[in-house]
Amino acid sequence: MPKVQFIDPQDVRKAGEVSFQPIPVNQYSKSIEDEKANFSKEDFLRIYHDMVVIREFETMLNEIKTKGEYNSVPYNHPGPAHLSIGQEAAAVGMAYTLGVEDFIFGSHRSHGEILAKGLSAIHQLTDEQLIDVMENHFDGKTFAPVKANFQGTTKELAVRFLIYGTLAEIFARETGFNRGLGGSMHAFFTPFGVYPNNAIVGGSGDIAVGAALFKKVNRKEGIVVANIGDASMACGPVWEGLTFATMDQFNQLWEGDMKGGLPLIINIMNNQYGMGGQTCGETMGYKVAARIGAGLNADQMHAERVDGYNPLAVIDAYKRKREILKEKRGPVLLDVLTYRFSGHSPSDASSYRSKEEVEAWQAVDSIIWFGNELVEAGVATADELDAVKANTTDLITWGLKLSIDDTVSPLMDMEKYPELIGEMMFSDSPADSMEPGREPEVNHPMEENPRVKQLKNKERFAFDKDGKPFSKIKQYGLRDGLFEAIVDRFYKDPTLIAYGEENRDWGGAFAVYRGLTEALPYHRLFNSPISEASIVGTAIGYAMCGGRVIPEIMYCDFLGRAGDEVFNQLPKWQAMSGNVIKMPVVLRVSVGSKYGAQHSQDWTALPAHIPGLKVVFPATPYDAKGLMNTALQGTDPVIFFESQRIYDIGEQFHEGGVPEGYYEIPFGEPDVKRAGKDLTILSIGATLYRALEAADQLQEKYGMSAEVIDARSLVPFNYEPVIESLKKTGRLVITGDATARGSFMKEMASTITELAFDELDAPPVVVGSRNWITPAYELEDAFFPQADWIIDAIHEKIVPLKGHVVKSNFTTPEQIRRNKLGI
Amino acid sequence: MAIPVIMPRQGQSVETCIIGEWYKQVGDQVKAGDLLFSYETDKASFEEEAKEDGELLAVFFEEGDEVPVLINVAVLGQRGESVDEFRPGGEQPVDAAAEAETVPEVEAIPDTEEKPVVLSGQPEGNVKISPRAKVMAEKLGVPYGKVQGSGPYGRIIAQDIAGAAEALPKLTPLAQEKAKAEGLTPAAETTGLGGRAAAENLISYNPVYGDDFEVKKLTNIRKLIAKAMHQSLQNSAQLTHHMSADARQIMALRKSFKKKLEAGEVSQNITINDMVCFAVIQALKKFPQVNTHFIGDSMRWFKKVHLGLAVDTERGLMVPAIKNADDLSIEGLSSQLATVAGQCRKGNVDPELLKPEAASFTVSNLGNYGVEMFTPVINLPQTAILGVCTIVPRPKDLGDGVYGFVPMMGLSLTYDHQALDGGEATLFLKEIKEQIENLTL
Repeated sequence: MPKVQFIDPQDVRKAGEVSFQPIPVNQYSKSIEDEKANFSKEDFLRIYHDMVVIREFETMLNEIKTKGEYNSVPYNHPGPAHLSIGQEAAAVGMAYTLGVEDFIFGSHRSHGEILAKGLSAIHQLTDEQLIDVMENHFDGKTFAPVKANFQGTTKELAVRFLIYGTLAEIFARETGFNRGLGGSMHAFFTPFGVYPNNAIVGGSGDIAVGAALFKKVNRKEGIVVANIGDASMACGPVWEGLTFATMDQFNQLWEGDMKGGLPLIINIMNNQYGMGGQTCGETMGYKVAARIGAGLNADQMHAERVDGYNPLAVIDAYKRKREILKEKRGPVLLDVLTYRFSGHSPSDASSYRSKEEVEAWQAVDSIIWFGNELVEAGVATADELDAVKANTTDLITWGLKLSIDDTVSPLMDMEKYPELIGEMMFSDSPADSMEPGREPEVNHPMEENPRVKQLKNKERFAFDKDGKPFSKIKQYGLRDGLFEAIVDRFYKDPTLIAYGEENRDWGGAFAVYRGLTEALPYHRLFNSPISEASIVGTAIGYAMCGGRVIPEIMYCDFLGRAGDEVFNQLPKWQAMSGNVIKMPVVLRVSVGSKYGAQHSQDWTALPAHIPGLKVVFPATPYDAKGLMNTALQGTDPVIFFESQRIYDIGEQFHEGGVPEGYYEIPFGEPDVKRAGKDLTILSIGATLYRALEAADQLQEKYGMSAEVIDARSLVPFNYEPVIESLKKTGRLVITGDATARGSFMKEMASTITELAFDELDAPPVVVGSRNWITPAYELEDAFFPQADWIIDAIHEKIVPLKGHVVKSNFTTPEQIRRNKLGI
Repeated sequence: MAIPVIMPRQGQSVETCIIGEWYKQVGDQVKAGDLLFSYETDKASFEEEAKEDGELLAVFFEEGDEVPVLINVAVLGQRGESVDEFRPGGEQPVDAAAEAETVPEVEAIPDTEEKPVVLSGQPEGNVKISPRAKVMAEKLGVPYGKVQGSGPYGRIIAQDIAGAAEALPKLTPLAQEKAKAEGLTPAAETTGLGGRAAAENLISYNPVYGDDFEVKKLTNIRKLIAKAMHQSLQNSAQLTHHMSADARQIMALRKSFKKKLEAGEVSQNITINDMVCFAVIQALKKFPQVNTHFIGDSMRWFKKVHLGLAVDTERGLMVPAIKNADDLSIEGLSSQLATVAGQCRKGNVDPELLKPEAASFTVSNLGNYGVEMFTPVINLPQTAILGVCTIVPRPKDLGDGVYGFVPMMGLSLTYDHQALDGGEATLFLKEIKEQIENLTL
């Protein structure tokens, strides 16, 4: 809470009431005749044409899925096809006024939106620009089969390119817009302003907000449209995205030209069903989805319902709403009413709706209706419209034939290039700045920053020359290492922003950001709502558009709150885009202790399990700064674990202390923190210090010299140094604060056993936390691994230690008993 | 680019081959087609040619090593290229690796008291040993079966092997090798440098013979024969009937064939053995129950006669099969028998033909060596084998009370009583006798 905002009890305790403005519903009432002044014949015909193209494209897919052929061309498409037959007017109306620099995000049912936005962009781009786009996409790989033997105009060629690229993508062809790695539910093409569509319902609900944030913060042209379904309004992350998008601070705290709302339209493609669930009358209570806007901010998000069966009504709404966004009064919520004739998917028997209902909507089919209106108003003849249809059938037939032709549209050759997908999991392209050349906005030179000045007086190594530790307050701590790396990047990369709970003013719950508030304007460092899904989801959208971002979710335990974002979105988009998109997101996650079962968990295994994420967990100031520098220099998503036990720990290992200048520590390299010859202890995170304690005891009591290795990274991880150590010692304990079952320690134990079986004198032994809830601080020693436990485990499982009396039970029968009970 | 040379696969059943001789040494320049090395399968030997030009960069196996087929044995390429990626993954020669460990079920109580590393007198049941300790024991030549384990649950761990190696007299490298190969231990008195036990100090445990012998490892083929013969006697109910046949007719035929051969009228040298085999085939056609394999709860009755012939070679006994021998004329049979016998002696016979399953009945002829009677061992799963013995003159009633000495050929039929009864076997043997005595060609 910023101090400038005073909460006056007199004020807030006053009696009163909240009033709402009426929300318009289907207010558009103009006829074609009325609109003749605003649309030329070409414009009207283009609207008709675009709807027909979408209808035919979807009809073709429907026939392929249900009959195995279209227009006598047989094909078997085993993948998904969520069709929007019936929704064409909504899609075309949405895209008609959008510029190329306006971005749309979509859902699993977005073929229509891709085509509508693509056709709109093609209409606006010059021939030269179009050729440039087509030639440069994957070095012309998608374009090559399209342009072969083609004689028509560049615009016609571009339309074919759009049809082919989308279809080849749906059919998983290497020539598709995303090399066939996205498919039907994720296809997109950024040069036409089509951003990722999302197979998770409501997935775009927070990602699109991040894209709008990117446009605002980096002063980029254009608006962002989130096409999400009426049923997705029930999803938590969508609601979180809406709360993020409507934060007061945009208007009340952001300064100068940054003051004002996000350039964002939440466009509810309201086809009135979520799969088979009827959102009005059955699964939701809003009756009219536009009502939601009234609950979010005083502007009610300028919400209204528009008749999505009339393309002109939708276009009219977009023209009006764009004005609101220009005045920085966004975001806007549109409830575009529509209906799909097709089922949720081709396997849907429509058992949840009556035949009469579908027929009633088909009777008001927007394409037939709009065509009739055009003929009646004398805009076009029936013959002209029929010609549009005939040409479209030819176009779609051509597109189908070309995209299923294995010679020109092959699948990825996974036999010849078995690592093709592996090579796309990470972009691995380090960059100082995501927008070189632009000056970062800061409040003062770095050296004037109070925290930077304060750090000058800290001891960058924990011990003096006699080996005596400096006082805690004098020591340069782990949080200082993180701060130095982050502040450095803020002065290098103008796109870098950071946000999360209590990031500004407070300086982060663990004081890593103390000093940043002074250095940065509001739009580069701000407090988010307490909604982890929106914190991570918006960061994903921000990065997709080309920005670098550090979202922070305070406690590791809150990862679950951002489950879909961390597990389904963040890791997937680089590879699913065929490497078109980069994802420079460093998600800071702090592992707690002392605060019980929901604030003390080490969940490193969860992100490490998901392909596409890099995972690190430094335990020293030197490693924290070096790894954070590497994370921020990279373009891949990093889950950056920190531990609340050791934010204040000084540097005890790196000779000369933590360097003042910039340096990187490569991901994946474990570090030997203490050399030894009799036993290896591999530790993850803050457990390092308990491992060292165990090593001391082993030396003092049993004359055994332990080598202590700090894993530092989990993904990637180089096992070679550990194997080298094992060649010496033959014995291994792996320890960390995660509950042992299913932990990354177990993963390491299993991998090392495979890699170095002949070096092992005993099985690698995992010493993790008990498989319980984390108890109160007073009982934590019975839960988290302790130095004693490590020694007991060695005695019991690796080599009996002379005279050792065990305190904890690491015997085989006990292990079996606990597993039998699931504890 | 460097390319690996693999141990080729000879026949579906061959799993390993033994390297005979390396014709090229590491560092030699090799042309495609040059012979690289010779190798032998269970029963045949081959030579491997280089497939490409290049320098022989590395050789992973020594002469005499047994190598699984399809494993890299060498690398060809340009000088300086890396060969490590081709090195078979820590692959030991099969002999060493084959001594698989079994994990014992014994429950032991962990000992918190450190025990001195002692060599217990006798190996006690199965041995628990860590992978590291096992590798170490092999390297140091420590017979770990006798080491007391100090690890959890009595597991032998690295420190035990280190201790045992200390406790044992140190061995010279040669002695280590010999000790490992022959299961010997050093004597108390040593003569090697620095008090090490030299090879000559190694003793076996037999106090009578001392070391008055040389231990020679069995060749692969010897091992196989040993196994097959032992199994045959263990797994069947064998007994042998003896009978003799009047050999006058067959000797007359042999004389006339020989004359024709010398006169150049025929090209095939038809031997007595060929004729006996021919007679056996005719008998088998009348007794299909003998032309069989006994496989426990059922029998394979062959429609054709696949005749196995025991051939003595330098490498050992081989029994190649002549497929569909009942389709052959005496000339054809003679020619084929001569061909496979020659291939066996040269070592280039098709290994598939040497499998016991390939033949339906076997003939073993020791007549040339003067053997008068013997009990041949059945080549399982065949049900019988005929031993052919030497021809000796025996008195015979020539009619009208006149006795004369007639050349008689001994026949020894071993059969599996599980498959055949004595009556059947006797009638079959009698049929052979009659076929021989009345042979017309």
